[in-house]
Amino acid sequence: MSRPPALDAALEAAQRARARCEAFARSSETWHLRRDASGCWETRDAREIGIACRVASPSGNAFAVASGGSARYGSNAVRAALESVLPGDDPLPPASELGTTPIPPVPAPSSDEARRAFVEALAGAVDAVRPPVALVELRLLEGRATSWIATSDGFTATQEAGAASVELLLAPGEGPWRLTHASFVTLADADPAHLAEQACAAALLAPRGGSPRRHLCDVLLAPAVAAPLVAALARHLVATPPDGAPHASKRVKVSPVWELTDERPGPDGMLPLSWDGEGLPARRITLLSHGRLRERLASWADVQRTRVAAGGAVRRSLRDEPGAGPANLVVRAAAPLSEQELLAALDEGVYLACPAGAPRVDEHTGAFSLRCAAVGIHRGRAATAHPLVELRGSLPRLLAGLAAAGDRAERFSLECAVTTPSLLVRRLEIA
Amino acid sequence: MLPTRRADLEEFAASVKKAVPRDLDDLYVERVNEVRWRLRGTLAASQHTLTREGAAVRRGGRLSSADGLDGAVIASLLEVPRRGLADLDAPELPSAPTLDEVVAALGVADVDLRWRGVWSAVVRDGAVAEGGKPALLEIVHPDGLRQLTVWPPAPDLEVLPPASEAAAPRPGRTTVLFAPAAAAVLLHELFGHPLEADSLLRGASPWAGKFGQRVTPLALDLDDDPGAALPGAYVADDEGSPAGVRALLRAGELVGAIADRSAAPALGAAPGNARRATCHAPPRPRLSNLVVTAGGAEPPRAEARLEVTSAYSGTVEPRSGTLLLSVRSAWHLRGGERKGPAGAFTLSASVGAAAAGLVAAGGLARASAAPGWCGKNGETLPTGAVAPWLLVAGLEVR
Repeated sequence: MSRPPALDAALEAAQRARARCEAFARSSETWHLRRDASGCWETRDAREIGIACRVASPSGNAFAVASGGSARYGSNAVRAALESVLPGDDPLPPASELGTTPIPPVPAPSSDEARRAFVEALAGAVDAVRPPVALVELRLLEGRATSWIATSDGFTATQEAGAASVELLLAPGEGPWRLTHASFVTLADADPAHLAEQACAAALLAPRGGSPRRHLCDVLLAPAVAAPLVAALARHLVATPPDGAPHASKRVKVSPVWELTDERPGPDGMLPLSWDGEGLPARRITLLSHGRLRERLASWADVQRTRVAAGGAVRRSLRDEPGAGPANLVVRAAAPLSEQELLAALDEGVYLACPAGAPRVDEHTGAFSLRCAAVGIHRGRAATAHPLVELRGSLPRLLAGLAAAGDRAERFSLECAVTTPSLLVRRLEIA
Repeated sequence: MLPTRRADLEEFAASVKKAVPRDLDDLYVERVNEVRWRLRGTLAASQHTLTREGAAVRRGGRLSSADGLDGAVIASLLEVPRRGLADLDAPELPSAPTLDEVVAALGVADVDLRWRGVWSAVVRDGAVAEGGKPALLEIVHPDGLRQLTVWPPAPDLEVLPPASEAAAPRPGRTTVLFAPAAAAVLLHELFGHPLEADSLLRGASPWAGKFGQRVTPLALDLDDDPGAALPGAYVADDEGSPAGVRALLRAGELVGAIADRSAAPALGAAPGNARRATCHAPPRPRLSNLVVTAGGAEPPRAEARLEVTSAYSGTVEPRSGTLLLSVRSAWHLRGGERKGPAGAFTLSASVGAAAAGLVAAGGLARASAAPGWCGKNGETLPTGAVAPWLLVAGLEVR
């Protein structure tokens, strides 16, 4: 994709106003396919492009966003920013800090025909699973984005990213419908038969049963359940937490099992980046290791206040100002266990197989809750089924309570990329 | 209502028709302005401005969309030469309020605020229908609770206080009194989403096949009303159909559904509830503002053991029809008197049981800043409600 005119128009507008400026543009193409139970298709293609500008002037700084790629959108964004300047320190990193890190090349997106063939193959694979599970809806999303950053100090860089996600809404013979989710660097990595088998197994796991009594117990989180909680945990490990939120201190109790890194430059993880949300070269950030909090994620502005290492900024979307946050998380275990070994280690507790919706996380207290399909485990074996339970806990408890991790990681595209195996956590609340 | 240049829009619509785009169903255009503030005390710690323009074309079951409203963008979507198209002169949106105006109107501090003005229109068969959507103001509390109101807000709008840190009530079945802000979330989940045409037609709704049946002992009248001055308001829906009041419940009997153009014939319902989360999302049948006309007497407090004053969110599991409400704040009640706060917890019941437990309503039906932004399949839309106090028996505290 060619560099959008909005980028240079923004820099020119800032130069005329004698303001420092960082212009960030993103252009993306996404392709959606939706197939329902009757074989009806819904197809969508979206071309999104926009520009986000941070400006810093003697009177303060500001941030504004405009969608569209032509020159007027760039100058409009800078004008809007200059009209909303608030007093504050210059948040823009100096040119000497900016740069890029080589990352693996991004595979080309699939063709329309390949996407359609994949959806048909996956629908066929679901039909072949026994006992039967009806396919209610299948959604495929594939996207590719190009980002540019340019500053009034003369730095300029570009990077590409791409991924594919598949969601299956399944209706087992009895019990609630289940939505499963899987993500891939490229659609060519996805095996329809394996995906169907895994999704149907999750859908069939807890078709009927009552609610468990509210109690504290050990829990085994399947990768799909662990992933959103790992993302929430990493959001908590920032240098400057939200106003009023407690700081994750270096003395916080961390289980020695945790090995959590933000693998920004790859090659591990799903979405490698060449530079962070502010144009600093991407680097590997070790968050948790050997029972300690090693690093906290920090933006350039955080670095000026806290003296931690920079390079931890992300843009959660084009419309969000860059800030500290996770990008490409990977959970590993020094001594990974097989699924059978994890169940044996759980012994008495609850296996949480499939999330039902996103977790609710109080960013200030770290308290979280997540609804899931679950199976009660007695002496290492499945004993009771619970179609819907609520898992409740806190991020500090999650940090301290990890007892073991599995040997088979899965990838998820959430607000950041997460690659995680199953996690065994002691003493969380189930209701 | 936002100012528009009607003649320019009609000229644009006529030029689209004249260009004869192949298989065109409709063209949707929108413009959005947003200002976000993060408050420390009552002062802005940050202020962000966002403008978004985009268009979408539907043809033969395919939706193609792009950011920007330049002639080249629209011509590319329509697959016609740029030369024949009139310029789309989208109207200027009204200016955002100043932070001082917002703080003075709401009396808020230490929250995030988001003002949003939107203009949209649908071009179909050479005619143009403007959306007529209101400006909105969202309050995001530190614990994640989000309240949404039209801007400017009603003078009696209640900004909810911080949540209690008290312990959750004991698990078990109980009778619950819902204050209007919490009743709004309950009705939204109990009747709003399950009466949307896509849920009904694919068998995901527990109300499928139950039209004409009485489902609540309370003689409840419930409408979906996009004409009410609430966050879900519009003049024409996102397919260009005129907005209208849809009766959903009459005296507790299911009588109507929420439909778009494609689903309306199958349900014998009128279209007019097609809504798009953004120009990149297809129009789908979605509720707007749920309005209850019951109420009047004093709230029925004596039988309730819990009074729920606010809820974070709710959900209904497809097919199993399990209703789950995430309660944010509540009070223990004894003999109708408040006996102390209760912390966050979950209420659950099957949809049928919750409706059958809806035994009384009271107090003045009023608008609150709930349910607010409503998500379904990842697509988020503003919604509103007018609800009285509701008494519901047989809910389970989890």
